[in-house]
Amino acid sequence: MLKCTFCGRRAAYNRRYAGVLLCDRCLIKSVEKRFRRAIAKYKLLLPGERIAVAVSGGKDSVVAMHLLVEHCKLKNCELVAITIDEGIKGYRDQSMAIVRENARSLGIEHFVVSFKRIFGATLDQMARRARAKKTELNPCTYCGVMRRSLLNQAARELEADKLVTAHNLDDEVQAIMLNYVRADFSRLHRLGPAYSPREGFVPRIKPLREIPEKEVALYALLRGLKVHLAVCPYVGGIHTEIRDFLNQLEANHPNSKFMILRMFDRLKPQLAGIVPEFEMRRCKSCGEPTSAIICKSCELLKGLGLRRLRKTLNSPKSR
Amino acid sequence: MTYIKVTVKQVGNKHKREFRLGPHATIADLLKELGHNRETIVVRHNGKIVVEEERLADGDLIEILPIVTGG
Repeated sequence: MLKCTFCGRRAAYNRRYAGVLLCDRCLIKSVEKRFRRAIAKYKLLLPGERIAVAVSGGKDSVVAMHLLVEHCKLKNCELVAITIDEGIKGYRDQSMAIVRENARSLGIEHFVVSFKRIFGATLDQMARRARAKKTELNPCTYCGVMRRSLLNQAARELEADKLVTAHNLDDEVQAIMLNYVRADFSRLHRLGPAYSPREGFVPRIKPLREIPEKEVALYALLRGLKVHLAVCPYVGGIHTEIRDFLNQLEANHPNSKFMILRMFDRLKPQLAGIVPEFEMRRCKSCGEPTSAIICKSCELLKGLGLRRLRKTLNSPKSR
Repeated sequence: MTYIKVTVKQVGNKHKREFRLGPHATIADLLKELGHNRETIVVRHNGKIVVEEERLADGDLIEILPIVTGG
């Protein structure tokens, strides 16, 4: 039996990048400490703030919600949960039930915004239209752009001071690599523990950014949290290739993911001079903030022969 | 005994498979044989989450839980 480096109990996790073995209790404590440390180090949350957390039902967002509940009790913050129902049959319906159960057990207000209600079509329907129109775009593009936009709008209508997304270390490093591969300076520049764009945007924060995906999963399992562990049916493409490459790199060379993150964090201030400044406007079609004449969501909808049905979400209570 | 026999179950898949391994095999050896990357899974050894360097014994049950789900 291999023992925990710190307390001698049976080890549950080999944190190879740090050269230590951790038991269930020490792993749970360590994850909670890293979450608190990220909040303090980057000043992500302030006492008394109203926080919206984006929850899909997957391990990362459920863990974020549970950790935030503890934080909010200590710091006198208000917490609300937002779920975007993209309409992925056999996937999102299952995870939605898990979010509801977690929100109910934690006593958190939970709001659901659906693609169908706002855009007039589910992601499944959009994917079918995109195939029929033979567009080059895959469902992840529609999902990513529209989900981000709706999350921001819901958080804004709920008068949240911050929007928490549950991106973990793996997500962040994958995004860094993806933007390198695409030479996308603008998106690369937006990465980091906090992003506070301009008017119309709720500042987004990532308190799990320095916790590896495996540790988030272990935290959920060891604490017995109810999480949805199914794989999204639309997963694929370059994201998956980059993810697999990074996981192979980490398996062969532990600490690679953290090194990529640290390197990016040191380089990021230099990007400011490269990224062009842009003027923030309102989308002519839906009124949401954008740098173009019409926002990316409306542009994608137009390409599918659809249009946005509602400007305001209303389902999240506008207070 | 020149080899040990372990049962492997992948969570989400009802089929179990039996594997023969050398007498000093670890979970990491088994994962290598199965082509799993340790970064993408959690392993339960006879019902307990353990490190991949644990030694296996004859009759052990290994459950493999994939944790990478997102896009």
